[in-house]
Amino acid sequence: MPDRELLSRRSFLLDAARVAAAGLLIADLQLLVSCARDESSRDAGFAHLTAAEGHTLRAFAAQIIPACDGAPGARESGAAYFVDRAFGMPLYAQSTVLVREGLADLDTRARSELGRRDFATATDAEQIAIMHAIEATPFFMETRKLVIIGTLADPSYGGNRGGAGWSMLSLESRPSFTAPFGWYDAHSAPDSHWRT
Amino acid sequence: MTGAPHTQRTFAERDIVDFVIVGSGAAGGVLAKELATAGFDIVVMEQGPWLQSSQFMHDELAVEQRHDLLNIAEEPYQTFRATETDAPRRNTGLALRYLRGVGGSTVHFAANYWRFRPSDFKERSICGSVPGASLEDWPISYEELEPYYTKVDWEIGVSGAPGPFDPPRSRPYPMPPLPIKSSGVLLERAAHRLGLHAQPAPFAINSQPRDGRSGCMACGHCANYGCEFGAKSSTLVTVVPKAVATGRCEVRTECTVFRVDTNAKGRATGVVYWDRDGRERRQRAHATILAANGVESARLLLMSASSQFPHGLANSSGMVGRNLMFNCYESTFGRFEHPLNEYKGAVAGRIIHDYYEHDPARGFYGGGGIDARFPYNPIGFALSILPPDVPSWGPEYARALREYYAHTVRFTGHITSLPQPTNYVALDWEHTDSRGRPALSLTYADHPDDRKAQYWFQSKTHALMEAAGASKIWNQPIAPSDGSVHLLGTARMGNDPEKSVVDRFHRAHDVPNLFICDGSSLVTSGRGQPTMTIQALAFRAAEHIARFARSHAI
Repeated sequence: MPDRELLSRRSFLLDAARVAAAGLLIADLQLLVSCARDESSRDAGFAHLTAAEGHTLRAFAAQIIPACDGAPGARESGAAYFVDRAFGMPLYAQSTVLVREGLADLDTRARSELGRRDFATATDAEQIAIMHAIEATPFFMETRKLVIIGTLADPSYGGNRGGAGWSMLSLESRPSFTAPFGWYDAHSAPDSHWRT
Repeated sequence: MTGAPHTQRTFAERDIVDFVIVGSGAAGGVLAKELATAGFDIVVMEQGPWLQSSQFMHDELAVEQRHDLLNIAEEPYQTFRATETDAPRRNTGLALRYLRGVGGSTVHFAANYWRFRPSDFKERSICGSVPGASLEDWPISYEELEPYYTKVDWEIGVSGAPGPFDPPRSRPYPMPPLPIKSSGVLLERAAHRLGLHAQPAPFAINSQPRDGRSGCMACGHCANYGCEFGAKSSTLVTVVPKAVATGRCEVRTECTVFRVDTNAKGRATGVVYWDRDGRERRQRAHATILAANGVESARLLLMSASSQFPHGLANSSGMVGRNLMFNCYESTFGRFEHPLNEYKGAVAGRIIHDYYEHDPARGFYGGGGIDARFPYNPIGFALSILPPDVPSWGPEYARALREYYAHTVRFTGHITSLPQPTNYVALDWEHTDSRGRPALSLTYADHPDDRKAQYWFQSKTHALMEAAGASKIWNQPIAPSDGSVHLLGTARMGNDPEKSVVDRFHRAHDVPNLFICDGSSLVTSGRGQPTMTIQALAFRAAEHIARFARSHAI
């Protein structure tokens, strides 16, 4: 386990604890903790990605949707596991070579331009600079798309662990709802001055 | 399971049925139920599967990324060009978008059910000639169609409440409107401040249990999805089961019609189709009804060309495939301080119809209605909906995802499209599917008045968004149309056989026992919500077709 991931996980848990202390529900904390634990225990769980590719992809995902304010981002939501699964799906399989070559290129750039072991061991600022340099490439656009889909697709596709991506959007995942749905309809009397 | 979920009457290949109906969607489902109830033997040909409500899921990847419900796998790609001098470019099968399956696109539509108004049927008389356009009065009036709008309300199942500009109705809505959403409250507030009038949006969705179906459970998955509760009044759960229950109607699924056959007398003898195993088969019928949608019916007529009908069946006017209309639209987005949670409930709650009518003072043909909606699920939202000044990745992007999803709504103008003979679908024989069916080639350019209407309405939705108190406002860029889910006008109704394809009873001018009734029949586009009118036309057509059949006048 690379140091960077340990550190980020530790700071992530600290963030989570801080938010919990500020009043978040315990259930949310448990979700965050389980996300972080999943992240550490599934390193070898890829069907298509190599461990090195998964390592690079997670770092890439963490820059697309970073964890912030104590809430998980794309890495913590398990987006890499979705991308791994997507390589075997007819809808996305044609992206496999593009993504693979691009991930290898990220590592090459980190080594040749920065002297890092790989992309994931570069600093945040270095990773961001590399990504800005390639953000108009088909690889970047396709992998960004897959990371976002992985973060927000149904958890049955491998990402969005425990609905973490949906929680990030403040979306309640429920089969049905009853009115009021939002703040404005909840705070609007039927005889409000503007009601016709 | 993709076959018939119920036991149904079946007909043998040697049988000559009374009617073969191509398509089981908005119009086909209504025609099947009405004609079977009237005592006729019917075979409905449906190229897609017969899904059941229990098979519909809230799976955004499957429905909105993979487009599972559309069943376009067999479809060759479409081509697009704005004008005949442009090189065609390749479009996916999603550009002219519809669902192949029992119920057609009523399975996955958002179910906005606006009636047209009296003026919609006589805009040529009201507006005069518009250069470049083939604007015509309809051969029927609102008053003639009103009883059938009421049939749609009651037999399909529409919820709503009358608004200040509604056309006359002979009977109230059968169900009260769906509950207001935060977007509706904000649209009402904005309308009040600007001196406009917001009214409850009518929907073909049960607001309460009715007709053996559930009331809306506000799951928020109407547009693009099938309703697993059966609350959305698709033909899949309304008229199709009733047609089958008569014992006189077979819905033959996964069967793709590719030709209407005609005899030496120039009469239709039935249809030729590929069955689910790819075998070529025939269904003979005393009369043939096309209700396959505004591009499929046109394609079928063009594919049915013969030495007797060299330019396609029922096409002596040359109008088959032409006058295609999409309904223009525009959108203004706004973010609000408090959560709206627009992902819950039906697609919209309130609409504004103050700008519905054509007004010569605006300087262009057209009008429209405005609604408040946010039909985005998480993936679609995160990939394309954030304001243009938000970066597409990184901490600011992540923050925006968190801050915008539950807080954003879109005010949308649903607008006219002018009919133009230069906007058309044609057959592309250079690109065929695995069985040799030609691709659809689309030539389409918005009329300059359509574009002016879009910008005019965007200024209105922008002003409404400001009046509603949005903290951040951004416009969806207005771009030329290159596809749609509204496919209208390609076999237009009319009294003049030289300028229209079907008469006022949907009978093809050229073929006495061929009827065409679906979006292709529309003479003008209305204001963006055509299905209510397509179904009213189908109820009306069925009544007249039954009358003709009984009096041996087919």
